[in-house]
This record gives sequence, C-alpha cells and structure tokens, in this order.
Amino acid sequence: MSLGVRIEFGGGLELLFSNEKKHKVTIPNMVPKDNDTKTPSEPSKELKPADVKYLIHYLRDHLLKERVELFMENGTVRPGILVLINDTDWELEGEEDYALKDNDEIVFISTLHGG
Amino acid sequence: MASESCGNPATDTDATMPRRPKFDRSKFCVKCKENTGNIVIRHAVYCKNCFMPLLTGKIRRNLEPFINEKGDGSRRRYLKASGNLLIGISGGLGSTVLLDLISRMYFPSQMESQKRTELLKGGTAHPRNEMVWQKAVVCYVEVCSAFPNMKDRTEDVRTLVKTYEQFEFTPLRLEDAFDRKWWAEVGGKPSPDLFVDPTNEALFLTQHDEDSSSSPVERLRSYLSALPTPTAIPSAIRMLVRLLLLYTAQSTNSSHLLLGANLTSLSISLISSISQGGGFTVKEEAQEEWTPKVAGNTPQTVRLLRPLQEIGLKECAFWAWWNELNVIGRDKFPGAKQGIGALTRDFIVGLERDYPSTVSTVARTCGKLAPKAGANGTCVLCDRSLQIGVQEWKARISIRSLSNSAPPPKTMNAALSDTLCYSCHTTLTSRSSKVRSLSNNLLPLPVWVHSYLKRSGLPEDSVDIAVQEELKESGGEIWERRKIDRSEMKGAISEFLLEE
Repeated sequence: MSLGVRIEFGGGLELLFSNEKKHKVTIPNMVPKDNDTKTPSEPSKELKPADVKYLIHYLRDHLLKERVELFMENGTVRPGILVLINDTDWELEGEEDYALKDNDEIVFISTLHGG
Repeated sequence: MASESCGNPATDTDATMPRRPKFDRSKFCVKCKENTGNIVIRHAVYCKNCFMPLLTGKIRRNLEPFINEKGDGSRRRYLKASGNLLIGISGGLGSTVLLDLISRMYFPSQMESQKRTELLKGGTAHPRNEMVWQKAVVCYVEVCSAFPNMKDRTEDVRTLVKTYEQFEFTPLRLEDAFDRKWWAEVGGKPSPDLFVDPTNEALFLTQHDEDSSSSPVERLRSYLSALPTPTAIPSAIRMLVRLLLLYTAQSTNSSHLLLGANLTSLSISLISSISQGGGFTVKEEAQEEWTPKVAGNTPQTVRLLRPLQEIGLKECAFWAWWNELNVIGRDKFPGAKQGIGALTRDFIVGLERDYPSTVSTVARTCGKLAPKAGANGTCVLCDRSLQIGVQEWKARISIRSLSNSAPPPKTMNAALSDTLCYSCHTTLTSRSSKVRSLSNNLLPLPVWVHSYLKRSGLPEDSVDIAVQEELKESGGEIWERRKIDRSEMKGAISEFLLEE
C-alpha cells in the first residue's frame, strides 16, 4: 500500500531540487521507525505510519541534488525553513509527527534565500 | 510502590518528555473563533482571513503615529504627510512584503479607489479620506558592482515595481556613494576626493583634487578591499545604502523613508550592530529622524521607519506565499559567512524556531535603551550621533602598539578618527587576530565626507600648507595631535609633581 504526496518548494529551495518547484512522490504507508528510506523493508524492522519526518529523509535521499546542510539539520528541516501541510502551518498539525494521507500537499519554503 | 523507571530516555522510551505544544488552547483562530487556524504566531493561532488584518494592524501601529509632522498622541486625527514617500527595497522577503502591504493600505488602484469612494463617510473631499502621501517612489540600490560575478538584479526589481502602478521606480548603484555626479544630483557641493590610511588607527587624511583616473566602481572596490575584517564589509555596505537612500529621500521631497526590516532581521541587526560597537545609536537601528545638513536646499526632515518591525520572518513568508509574491532574493556577499552578521543571523533564526517569543524580546528591549553619555555632533561617515570621548575610551581599553619605539613623526595631516563614531572607527580599523594581507593603497572615502568635515570645523584641507601659513600670519592657531613618550609627558607636568 502506498501514498501519493504532492511536494512544492518555495523561497529558493527549488534550486536544491533540480530547480523544480513541484514534485510528486510515492511512499509506502508504513515505513521504518528509523526513517531508513533505502534498504528494502525487513519483516523484523519496527514500522510506523508514514509521517513528515520520514518524508524529509526521503526527499534528502532521493530528490536532493546538492548541499544537504541547506535543507536538513539534526534530523529535521534546517531552521528558517517553513513547512505547510495542506496550506496550514505544520505546527498546528503536529510537525514531523503528522501522519501523511494520500494526496496531501506538503510545501517547504525557505526564508533564508537572500532577504 | 515506587516507579521502576530510571527516567533515562535511551533505555526507557516512555521517559522522553512529551513535546511541548507550539500553540495555546485549541486549533481555532483566536480572533474570529470560528475558522480552523492556518498559522501559529508566537503560540497564537490565526486563520487566513484574520491574518491580513493582523498584519495591517501591526503596520499601522508602527507607522501612523509618525506620519503627521506633529505627533497627535493618542487622538486619531486625519493622516497627512508633509512630503512624499520613499520605499527602500532590497529584493529580499521583508521589502517585497512591505511593498505589497503599503500598496494595498495607502495606494489603492483606480478600481479599488472607486469602490472606496462609494463607501466613504463625508465624501471624498473630506480631509480624512485624502491620500496620506501624494507620491511614492520605490528605490533599489544595486550592490553587484562591489564584487565580481554578482548578478545585477535591477531589471528584475524594475519588473516587480511595475506591477504596482502607483509607484515610480528609482534605481541606484552602490558606487554612487563615490560618484561626484550623483552627489551633485542630490544637491551636494563639489568637493575633492578624500582618502585615509587604514593601517594607522588615527586614519590620517589625504586629499586629491579631481582624481579622474579611478571610476566610482574602482573606488568602491578599493574601499571594501581595504576594510580589515570580513565582518566590516556588510556593515560598511549597509551604512552606504542607508545614506544613499536618505539623500534620495531628500531629493524626492520625501518626508518618510520606509524600509522592509521585519522583527527577525531587526533583531539580527540590533545584536550585530551592538557587537560591532553601535550601542550608542541602538535606538536609531529601529527608526530615526534625519535632517540633511550638507546637501540640497530644503531642510525637510526625513523619518526613517520600519513598519514591519513587529512582524516576524515567518509571517512575512506566509504572506508572500499566500499572495504569490515574487521574492527576487539577494545574493550573499563573498566571505560574509565568517562575519558577525552571519553568525548572529544563524543564532536568531534558530531562536525563532525554538523560542519565538525571545526574538521579539530582543527588539523590545533594545527599544527601551538610551545612552547615558551625551552626543557631540554627528559622525562624518554615517551621520549618526557621535558620542563624546571615543578615542580616549579606545586608548584606555586596548593596547594599540606592542613596542616602546619612538612616537610617530609629527604630521600636518588631520586625523579622521576624531570625527568618527565608535562603530565606524571600529569598522575601519578593527583588526582580527588573523593576519590579513592589507593592500598598501589608501582607502577612498564616500563623497559626503568632505562636506561633513567642513561643517565640523576640522581642517580637512590637510595638505594645503598655504592656508595654514596664512592662518599663522594672521595670528591664528593651528592645532595638531601627536603622540608623546613618557619622558616628554613628565616634562610637561614636572612643575606639578611632588618631589620623590
């Protein structure tokens, strides 16, 4: 079972992702608790519903072309990057613990580019 | 029975403290209490509809008490500025949001004007319904000439400003600060080129008449490359941009100059400025009143305001995103990452994420500060208040030379250091512990310095021996400073010393 998630980048962040503002990713609905996005799932590994934390790791591992430190820091988005879940501040939705649903829209905006 | 948990999260996952909620009470908007919230601002929840009035309310609070020439206290009278409006934009997030909000609030389009006419009380002729400013100009200072390979964004900014039909666009370039033509355009008097020797803390002046061999761009690059630290470069650029904008405000008959610094960038610039010696003028970092003293004919005061100063970076970003504003952005200066400005920015941005209320505390606390000592005129470089005793203080707190060698030879050149504020002097002379290869070239000064020096009464005409001879003959005195050694000092006060 998998989920389709719409991703959008703003504030210059798209420059790190092949200069594309909009992306669509498909991720499994149950993912490893350790946020490993590369190795195929083993039955012994502990799983959790796919959340934003996993999505961030997935984007870093599969879509980010350069300069990881400009997107991620200490296992989460770098300070200065805002996240919107379905047009709402992620702080209202539980931040990284928000469990993703099919066709959700997640937006990452950088406030650090210039300005 | 006592709990068997040791409380160590590494072994007992239930011992991890639950995440502190980032918002108070419920997810519903605290204003309308009907809609589900879309944004959290310092623990308060707002929906999209209530977000705009929140921002415009904050802007009014920081702008409207300073519009009328005479403050009207708490009584709300109609708003009418004594001059035009100049909006300074950098292409960054704050200034893009400022442009958009000021346009919506004070410069409605024709269509919106007509709609408003139908709703207005007292009719359009009523003074309350007049436009606050008759004319608005948007000014952008392009800094790309300062560094090789930096992109020129003037045309992108021009395109952005065109989308606001009410605004005129005036582009400037950073090198205008070293351009006699620009100085003449804003009403400045012709003056010779001034240079200082940056390797000596006294900053002795030399003067060249009509040095046409170097262009303004070359002089700008010389100025920046002669600065002693990476920290000094963005600070020097900020100072030049500020004065370019103020003189443009004066030449466009503007009574108000608005800048797009938001709460976050204001807090960054406050801390950064204080750490570079700008504590004496910390209040002016938020807003200031400036009167042109050396150029132009009109003594009109310009109020430099930052209407977004209570609006955080996050709110600006959300406004820009929800209104699809085109934020052009600014390039970082080469080498800026190692400076105090960049370190302060990383610190404050991190604070804003984890403890958002502390960022507003920085700005509010700085707004309450006032210097103890008085001012003595203004700095000839940045035209901010000049505190008394800068050089004496510096001499007391620092070792300025390691050797006991003979004092430097007497020189007829005047020293710029006496007329600089602490912050500007530090920018020009503060050495880092790393040995940087300094060019032997003199540091050129911006075009306004000569006029300020003349006004301050210092003999800036330092190599004009003829003038000095004339002064001597007419019985006048020529004052000069020079360093003396201990024996000479003792000799000067020997008659007052007690016998050992």
